[in-house]
Amino acid sequence: MGGAARARRRELHLKERTAVSNQDGVGIRQADVVRVREAPVQETPVQETPAQEAPAGGAAQKPASTALEVDDLTVAYDSRPAIWDIDLRVPEGVLMAIIGPNGAGKSTLIKAALKLIPRAAGTVQFYGQPYERVRGMVGYVPQRGSVDWDFPTTVLDVVTMGLYGRLGWLRRPGQREQAAAMHALEQVGMQDFAERQISQLSGGQQQRTFLARALVQDARIYLMDEPFAAVDAVTERAIISIMRELRARGKTVVVVHHDLQTAAEYFDWVTLLNVEVVASGPIGETFTADNLRQTYGGRVAYLQDAQRIAGREEL
Amino acid sequence: MFQLEELIIQFLLNFVAREELNAFLRDPRNTATLVGALIAVCGALLGTFLLLRGMSLTSDAISHTVLLGIVVAFMVMSSLFGREPSLASVWLIIGAAAAGVATVVLTELIYRSGLVKQDAALGLAFPLLFALAVILVSRFVDDVHLDEDAVMVGEIGVTWANTNSHCLDQCETVTIAPDDARAELTRQCTNCRELGINPRDEKAEFTQICTNCGEYSPAQAWQAGFTRTEPALVFWPKSITVMAVLTLLTLFAVVLFYKELKLSTFDPTLAAALGFRPTLLHYGLMVLVSLVAVGAFDAVGSILVVAFFIIPPAAAYLLTDRLPRMLAYSALIGAAGAYAGYDLARGSFLGLVRVSDLLTGLNDLFGLDLVEQWDSSISASMVLMIFVFFMAAWVFSPKYGLVSTTVRRSNQRRSFDNQVVLGHIQHHQGIAAESDELAVSTLHGHFRWSPAKMERVLRRLQAHNLVQFEDDFISLTADGETHAHSFRQNQLTNETVVE
Repeated sequence: MGGAARARRRELHLKERTAVSNQDGVGIRQADVVRVREAPVQETPVQETPAQEAPAGGAAQKPASTALEVDDLTVAYDSRPAIWDIDLRVPEGVLMAIIGPNGAGKSTLIKAALKLIPRAAGTVQFYGQPYERVRGMVGYVPQRGSVDWDFPTTVLDVVTMGLYGRLGWLRRPGQREQAAAMHALEQVGMQDFAERQISQLSGGQQQRTFLARALVQDARIYLMDEPFAAVDAVTERAIISIMRELRARGKTVVVVHHDLQTAAEYFDWVTLLNVEVVASGPIGETFTADNLRQTYGGRVAYLQDAQRIAGREEL
Repeated sequence: MFQLEELIIQFLLNFVAREELNAFLRDPRNTATLVGALIAVCGALLGTFLLLRGMSLTSDAISHTVLLGIVVAFMVMSSLFGREPSLASVWLIIGAAAAGVATVVLTELIYRSGLVKQDAALGLAFPLLFALAVILVSRFVDDVHLDEDAVMVGEIGVTWANTNSHCLDQCETVTIAPDDARAELTRQCTNCRELGINPRDEKAEFTQICTNCGEYSPAQAWQAGFTRTEPALVFWPKSITVMAVLTLLTLFAVVLFYKELKLSTFDPTLAAALGFRPTLLHYGLMVLVSLVAVGAFDAVGSILVVAFFIIPPAAAYLLTDRLPRMLAYSALIGAAGAYAGYDLARGSFLGLVRVSDLLTGLNDLFGLDLVEQWDSSISASMVLMIFVFFMAAWVFSPKYGLVSTTVRRSNQRRSFDNQVVLGHIQHHQGIAAESDELAVSTLHGHFRWSPAKMERVLRRLQAHNLVQFEDDFISLTADGETHAHSFRQNQLTNETVVE
């Protein structure tokens, strides 16, 4: 009872918070769209500079190869851009957060990278290859709310689904797959729930099940869409320790994250996103008040614009 | 199709005599139940996935719009080949499948416009296609055997009569030519209609025609009396073959693509990310639904086939938490409904009550004048019985049924009441105010409970040896202490699972 109540409270809290940032997000996006329409050519390079230089600096410190490279990626819902001209380089072996207000296109970026939604323009490469070639190397954790948890199946079965990609068409999961799924459940501390119907899980247990399903894929890069949404503190700690373990094993983990307070503690790399990439790089250099203001405080950008226009009029 | 029937018959004759087989197939009950059960199995296998995808009503839409596919294919074929195709023709089936897919595509297009919601989009697409079909039927293919009754409820009761005859022995085909002694010749006026005259008119011209010329199958030849020895025949109802083929096809597809169907139903996003093609699977499923809808069209009509798609899976969903069992249970429920439904149509409810007795009873009781003879639509009765089974699952399902849920809730409430009292005693034991808080006579006031309820709870606790009484005071036993402590530990600190 206590855990569920706490989770609910947390969810409420989240809702309040996102409601606020949502207003901001809408504000920025409209401003951005207007600005882009007025002067796309002059404006874009100015915005891009930190995004392009930060990863280059990071690569100098860490001589790792590139796990994920996004070039000129644009995705539009109808005519409205959800993400605009994204350039991004994620070095191998980092634990990266994608941070930005609601509607900034964080989930869209992940889904477009996996070709789950059509791209308007641009390319995405994993380890230098298009996604179709390296599906097995990429583990994906969708948002927990994206599936029907009343589906008649067990926790173990859901985790086994992570192996379907490796099995390919028609081949059935067998003993070996079951054992691998069981091992993944042990890693997330859910082994006692293997035979449980999934509707009987708490939110945190659902999230851990999803995480186990990604772990069992034994991928090289993991893309996780809001794994911390509405889970309690215990689960959050469990999840972050699993992510750190993955990083220790040389894996790359990209996480859509909402909580600014914990970002610096949890992650070593960050991409600040608000339709466009505001900044991307090592957390120490990138996660600055200035960049955050630029990401969240839409009015700041808008004001700068206004000043610029005003200044020109003075001239 | 014909060769397939031959194979099945040859196989069956290893186990039964020909006469027995014919007798079995000639019994309307057997054939109707068999066809009904086969439709039920198809419906259950596909309907389970439809239900879990939240698109049960798509089966309703498709079962109507396949009519458009049939009619269009029929028209194209008549104009291209100048002949009337049989209703079982492959092209009609392809047309029907295309119409089923078209329904889903059209719905999707309307929905994607973002101007209407999903259910409304379906509601827009399928009456349109169905209306087009009805217009085409009434305008262009008037003579086709497609009447409203057939569209509504089908003719499962007479499927036994619509047969292919298979000859096993003493097979003699007969061809009657005009010069044959057995030919029946008659004169026909060739210009009567043209001139608008009577055959008796002197201007009438005549030609001789043969009314019984042509080829006769062994069965027809025997029936017409052209052959002496009776051929060994098996009369095989066509619907059984159609539905058997569809059942095998459905079973094959669901078993083969079980893993893919499950994944793309549960989590289409992951299915796409892993390189499976959820859209392809989706349309594959729709094609199968269309095919079954066409196949079942003859037997149960387009409305009642929907019941076979939706009700058994809905019942099975209440009975199990595992997908394979849900598939099996819904097939069983559908088949049992088909069997019991035939009995109901013939006036017997599960062999327990005769409907006519029930009606007589009602007549006597209320002075009514209800018809006591009971002989109703077989397919409608089947649906009724499937629904009765659904109701049974709804009320008595061990996990999600009305009864067990109510019992569980009241148990939970009772156990919670116990804990509240135990907790209260534990909390106040050994405190100065104890005398007031723990006096049996005033305890109910602290909880705002009625004295009767308080007494019930206390008696229960005492029976479990959790509390003890001393004069008017109540205290926990050692057991009660442990109980209250562990409850506090479990409920207030750990993350709990919603049972």
